[in-house]
Amino acid sequence: MKKSVFLFLIASSSWAAAQTNPAVVPAAARAATEINSDAADFDLNTHQAVYRGHVRVEHPELKLTCGTLLVDLPTAGAHLSNVVADTNVVIDFNDGKGQTYHVTAAKAVYAYKIENAVTNETVTFTGSPKVETAQSTIESEPMIWDRAHNKFTFIAPKMISREAPGNTTNGLPVKLF
Amino acid sequence: MGALAGVAQQTPVGHATDFTSESYFEPPHEQQVKLRLSGAEASPLPGGLLDVKKLKVETFNEAGKPEVIVRAPQCTYAPLDGVANSAGALELQTGDGRFRVAGEGFLWRQSASSLTISNRVRTMIDVPLMGANAL
Repeated sequence: MKKSVFLFLIASSSWAAAQTNPAVVPAAARAATEINSDAADFDLNTHQAVYRGHVRVEHPELKLTCGTLLVDLPTAGAHLSNVVADTNVVIDFNDGKGQTYHVTAAKAVYAYKIENAVTNETVTFTGSPKVETAQSTIESEPMIWDRAHNKFTFIAPKMISREAPGNTTNGLPVKLF
Repeated sequence: MGALAGVAQQTPVGHATDFTSESYFEPPHEQQVKLRLSGAEASPLPGGLLDVKKLKVETFNEAGKPEVIVRAPQCTYAPLDGVANSAGALELQTGDGRFRVAGEGFLWRQSASSLTISNRVRTMIDVPLMGANAL
């Protein structure tokens, strides 16, 4: 498979991971999330849980594995606000339209908050982060997955595009802007 | 954390049923229960330990709303140290029931309000965790 490498001179770029309508919530997105691990520590003063050893997070749209996972326990009725995955972080997810994404990094920090009626929901990957699709691979340090707008932001990214067999005109399946 | 106070049929060395111990917030919320530890039955063991059946630990916020509930069918409790442990099953859930944990083998340290689950930890979360934007 022919590969071409692009070193971007721009400081950052964004990658639309999906064009979903944020007003429509797929049934899968409302499904429960399951976390399995070898062990866990719960601090009931700080309301934090730390999962240790073979941590596996499963959701119909997402699978995550890592060495340790810190979760701020949600208060009644609230959204999860802070999740930190550490050590050999691997996330596989799909955009609901058939495109799958495979992300690896040393660390991933999920943050959710609402400020001035604006929802900020991001996952920041650090430690040699890389996102792969069937068509391309992008490395960026850091790499930010904006969940609220379904797009990736890359800092000085390095992109490897894999051309589909028989397609010599366009090796990029995704929109860069 | 305030002082621990037994409130129902609790004896330090004897057999107890339906016992409850509570600790309170510091002022100005000293009237509010911060943590309640209860059990259906406690039998004395050597070394000042207690064999507790149907352990239940509840924590509350300053408004009296339940935050976390921990249940275990059996454990060994050291009342002087405020430590409970067991090789058996344990369940934890938040007050609204949307964050539920089950596992096997645990250590509860009352002074630090910390809980370690040693094996096969399984958590179910009914609130969004990534991949569920716009909720």
